[in-house]
Amino acid sequence: MRIFMLSWEYPPRVIGGLARHAEGLSKAMASLGHEVHVVTLDFPGAPYEEAEFPLYVHRVAVELPAPTFHTWVLLFNHFFEKRVGQLAKKYGPPDIVHVHDWLTASAGVASKHLMRVPLVMTFHSTESSRSSSFRTPESAMVGGLEWWGSYEAAKVIAVSGWMKSEVVSQFKLPPSKVVEIPNAVDMVKFEKSVDVATTRMKWRVQPGEKLITAVGRLTSQKGFDDLIRALAIVRKSVPGAKLLVMGDGYMRGELEALANGEGVAERTTFAGFVSDDDLVDAIKSSDMVAVPSHFEPFGIIALEAMAAGVPVVVSRVGGLAEIIEDEVDGLEVDPNSPYSIAKATTRLLSDQALASRLAARAREKVKSYNWKRSATETLEVYEAAVGEARYE
Amino acid sequence: MSEFPKRILSSLMVMGAQSPDRAMSIDELAGKLGMARSAVELELKSLIDAGYAKLVDESGTSAVYLTATGIITASSTYS
Repeated sequence: MRIFMLSWEYPPRVIGGLARHAEGLSKAMASLGHEVHVVTLDFPGAPYEEAEFPLYVHRVAVELPAPTFHTWVLLFNHFFEKRVGQLAKKYGPPDIVHVHDWLTASAGVASKHLMRVPLVMTFHSTESSRSSSFRTPESAMVGGLEWWGSYEAAKVIAVSGWMKSEVVSQFKLPPSKVVEIPNAVDMVKFEKSVDVATTRMKWRVQPGEKLITAVGRLTSQKGFDDLIRALAIVRKSVPGAKLLVMGDGYMRGELEALANGEGVAERTTFAGFVSDDDLVDAIKSSDMVAVPSHFEPFGIIALEAMAAGVPVVVSRVGGLAEIIEDEVDGLEVDPNSPYSIAKATTRLLSDQALASRLAARAREKVKSYNWKRSATETLEVYEAAVGEARYE
Repeated sequence: MSEFPKRILSSLMVMGAQSPDRAMSIDELAGKLGMARSAVELELKSLIDAGYAKLVDESGTSAVYLTATGIITASSTYS
């Protein structure tokens, strides 16, 4: 098959899990012999064209200024459409156009009708779950684009059972139109040997101290404020507990101030965005990984910790609650509850046998979350979409 | 703690100031945002200090663009 994959992020432009998904899926489908063209946004230092047959990455510059973020998204979709047209002329029309979230939905719908090829849309999240309600005109527009994409798509993919329920109920889709295909993890990345002592020193963790790592965009959704409050409780029982936060976002200053206010600034490191190597090193050198999200359609970081053999504490929400079985391969906590996070974290950091048991079970479980499986299931969805596409 | 200058960060991204050769002058940025140059400079300082933006000085006119970290942070509402 020839696949046009439209994603606003693709490494090295990594905002969050969507980039990991687009990369893992594209590479796995290419390894199965399919011709994959990723159309994505440009990024400093990244080439505009990458070709490693049968995987191509085409980066697009947005050549016009926009007044707001949401009009900018619509504008870059126009430039995506232009690139799709050029690629169809050069390589031939695709068999499938695959878009991810509202961010590339309009380019996908236009491509579908212009080339008369089936559209598949993957939902990684929805606006209503992100913002609780459509409180602003922009938010309402995002919700509209999500509905429009899901309506125009021949098939819809959801990254978890929770996400499937959300899109089926919110967009009134027939359940048979929506297929759950979970995210995955590249196990090989986590098989590298790591100098744990050096890595821990790099992040100011002294011998005998305990390292809690959290990874993600610094937005309210991720619940890092709860984690910082939890650390202030944990340190009463585990004085050597330290927190390493990897990622960046609008809340950074707010979280730094919170850590200061809670008296844990000296025990908290905000690393900002880090390289893949640094991320793997840090996770593998941690005593546990915390995923305290308020909501989480999937939560790839949980898989990464599991692949690294590091025990996890996760919020009992969305896709996280589907990945982790409480007390079997991780510990679940109540979302929005520093006390619940603190209780589970203290248990894990104080009970090495528990931590080892959970991590070992998790490492076995995570093997089923591989990109080859996700790619195979996605290709089955493509085949079904080819048979079901309508262009009225 | 002063409020995070989200509007300036986002504006630099959507107006295309994402590399040194596409840097936007502070006067132009202030004009587009309807803000005084001094207020823009103050907010830019915090972005520059945090590593989200960089200044270039062309012919004595300061211009600013987002770093890779700034672009990712400006996009961080979604993923």
